[in-house]
Amino acid sequence: MEIKRTIKYQADRVRGFGREVMSVPGCEKLKDCIQCGTCSGVCPLSIYMDFTPRQVMALTREDFKNEVLASHTIWLCASCYACTVECPREIRITDIMYELKQRAIHEGVYPKRFPIPVLAQEFTTMVRQHGRVSEGLLVTKLYLKTNPIAALGMAKLGMGLMKTGRFSLKQENIKQRADLARIVATVDNESVKA
Amino acid sequence: MAMEKQNQEPRIGFYVCHCGTNIAGMVDCAEVAHHVGTLPNVVMSKDYKYMCSDPGQELIQKDIAAHGLNRVVVASCSPLLHEHTFRGAVEKGGLNPFFFHMVNIREHDSWVHTDRQEATEKAKALAQAAIGRVAHHKALETKRVDINPTTLVVGAGIAGIHTAMTIANAGKQVVLVEREPTIGGHMAKFDKTFPTLDCAACILTPKMSAAGAHENIRLLSYSEVTKVDGFVGNYKVTIKRKPRYIDEEACIGCQDCIPACVFKTPKFADEFNEGLGKRRPVYIPFPQATPQIVAIDPNVCLNFKKGENGDRVVSDKCKKTCVEACGDKDAIDFTQTERFEEIEVGAIVVATGFQTYDATRSPSYGYGRYDNVYTALEIERLVNASGPTGGHVVMRDGKSEPKSVGIIHCVGSRDKKTNAWCSRVCCMYSMKLAHLLKEHTNAEIYNFYIDVRTPGKGYEEFYGKLLEEGVHFIRGRVGEVTDWAMTPEEEGKLVIRVEDTLAGMVRRIPVDMVVLATGLEPQKDAQDVRRLFNMSCGSEGFFLERHPKLAPVNTFSDGIYIAGACQGPKDIPDTVAQAGAAAAEVLALIDKGYVEQEPNTAFILEDECSGCKSCIPLCPYTAILFDEKTDKAWINEALCKGCGTCVGSCPSGSIVQNLFEDQEIFSEIEGVLAYD
Repeated sequence: MEIKRTIKYQADRVRGFGREVMSVPGCEKLKDCIQCGTCSGVCPLSIYMDFTPRQVMALTREDFKNEVLASHTIWLCASCYACTVECPREIRITDIMYELKQRAIHEGVYPKRFPIPVLAQEFTTMVRQHGRVSEGLLVTKLYLKTNPIAALGMAKLGMGLMKTGRFSLKQENIKQRADLARIVATVDNESVKA
Repeated sequence: MAMEKQNQEPRIGFYVCHCGTNIAGMVDCAEVAHHVGTLPNVVMSKDYKYMCSDPGQELIQKDIAAHGLNRVVVASCSPLLHEHTFRGAVEKGGLNPFFFHMVNIREHDSWVHTDRQEATEKAKALAQAAIGRVAHHKALETKRVDINPTTLVVGAGIAGIHTAMTIANAGKQVVLVEREPTIGGHMAKFDKTFPTLDCAACILTPKMSAAGAHENIRLLSYSEVTKVDGFVGNYKVTIKRKPRYIDEEACIGCQDCIPACVFKTPKFADEFNEGLGKRRPVYIPFPQATPQIVAIDPNVCLNFKKGENGDRVVSDKCKKTCVEACGDKDAIDFTQTERFEEIEVGAIVVATGFQTYDATRSPSYGYGRYDNVYTALEIERLVNASGPTGGHVVMRDGKSEPKSVGIIHCVGSRDKKTNAWCSRVCCMYSMKLAHLLKEHTNAEIYNFYIDVRTPGKGYEEFYGKLLEEGVHFIRGRVGEVTDWAMTPEEEGKLVIRVEDTLAGMVRRIPVDMVVLATGLEPQKDAQDVRRLFNMSCGSEGFFLERHPKLAPVNTFSDGIYIAGACQGPKDIPDTVAQAGAAAAEVLALIDKGYVEQEPNTAFILEDECSGCKSCIPLCPYTAILFDEKTDKAWINEALCKGCGTCVGSCPSGSIVQNLFEDQEIFSEIEGVLAYD
């Protein structure tokens, strides 16, 4: 039996984390949370979560950044929005989950082989570079980066689909990629300023 | 003496109040006093810590004598709070109280500004305006209007009954109006009352029959108020008497007609039992109903059956056996129609109660979809010995008893999507039902709550008792009720999915029966009632009291009071306390015998009135009448509330309002504008 310290000292918190999250548009109402647990009660994925969605809300509000960003919960969220629909305080829980996921990716504390952060990164990289998502390529990259062995198992199906023209590894592009790059750069600059 | 003073040169005394630090903290009071002291007609100017205190008021009285003042201005708080106080002080000093004017430098100045210098300048400007205005004030007399000592009580639940009984016991006449065929309201449907568990009917029905039989109470059941005219002390109220197709004088309450009905078995959903029981077209809501008079439901009685073109065709299946059974009492009258009756009263108490939240609005709890999901009010009837099952708790199949029950708190309450407020009674009634269900069936009972709220005498102890009885309390708002089984033990059950927030885990709990603790909300026609009695509503739709702490049963309309759950969710003890308070307010009003009316009424300069009638439809109080003989309009002072609408509208400028005469207002404006 391994005995660990479970008590939390004030110094274990990252002061200001909760306030920062709650200042993001869409996340403000976290302040109103009454910890009723409806979000967990309706969440279909709460079966597998380490912290319940309600606990994630409480930990965020109380500045427990390290605990929240390391939690599986934010990565299990399938964004079905059931919690947001049912929340009696109209808290946009799904949006808060997205905010936490973004922060985890920026800080590099996400589970590296977990499909959701990988998908998010591959998706945005592809859009930035090519202006368009090529699903076949995206799915292939996702498999290779998260579970290459499973990708092998899917190879036969992939070949078959390719033959019938239903699956392609071709990267599609938009015409004015330079314009897109300028737009994205402007947005990036603005968000850095903000 | 007053007239003499009016003709003299104005000699104004000015006082600026510190209100502790409320004003002095943001306004330099000494500077304001100094500035005002330099204005024309001002004889003396002072600042003082608390003008409303006894020494403050005495100061005014002494100065009136010492300096020969004939006008007084006080710069302090809102006139709503202390205008009355200072007018009294001025009157005691020997002046007409309307030679006084008040300046609000607290709510309008010190409380809302953050710059001391600016706030001080504003106070000076406002004071200067008042000095300009008060010079033109005239002596006015407050008028007295007699009060009709009869009271109307609208709604005869426990609030209305208690109010009516209290007033009637004091020897005053009461008209008690109830829209249902019986009085008693929601309380009559309850089985037991928390936390003492005494039977609701045992404590209510004696009061019901006493109210029905009281010599000072005129009970109008199955009736509704449709129109209210007049003003405090003199209201004219129109009441619609709905046809119950029974001559109320002739019916003796023998109920022989009920079994005689051609419907041999009761067939129609019974409102009193929340639709769990059945009744015939001719019925009495429940055995102790008051008055003991049956009613006929024209929607289902064969005698009222409508033909295809909407005409009434008396079905040949109706043998009028009820009429036969009634015999020579001859109380059944199928020709009855709506009647309207006008009564005159001096005061009105609105006690129209609440309705429960419609559980079908929360679809995830399955009410109306799963048979064994009930509302709390249905359970009240189910556990009641005179209920549809005689007090046997059986599920909708009519046979099986539940072995486990889940009670879901806060259904429709504390939810911004439905009703944002806490309904106050659900925690306690849920625990009461938990106790009763356990007593009746020995089932496992689970309570699902967000917070247990037991603020009341003996309430926390009741919670303790329930814990000792082994009732489960799970802190978590239920996500959903489903019949989708994931494990063998869940087969054939209703599964409650909830986070046990104290344990920090999501749980699935299978139960046989689910009870929804539906919250309290305003009656669906509360807005109509509000308009009828000229009241206001809070954001939730409950009727608004004049002051949440100091005038909880008064409304903004004088002579109209509120009691019970129409003002906000409350339990029986609080309702009765409020009903008593409303009765006391009514008695204080009608025992005095008269009301004093502010003299800030409008009047018409007859010589200048052109008889254009443009003011008449604008008056919100229908106080302006037209004299056909002289071709002029005139204002009934007793009805005028001094709103000033007619004054502004008169094209010939022939309407004048006391305390708001042109000269007074222009001088006030000039005072502000002249300040720099």
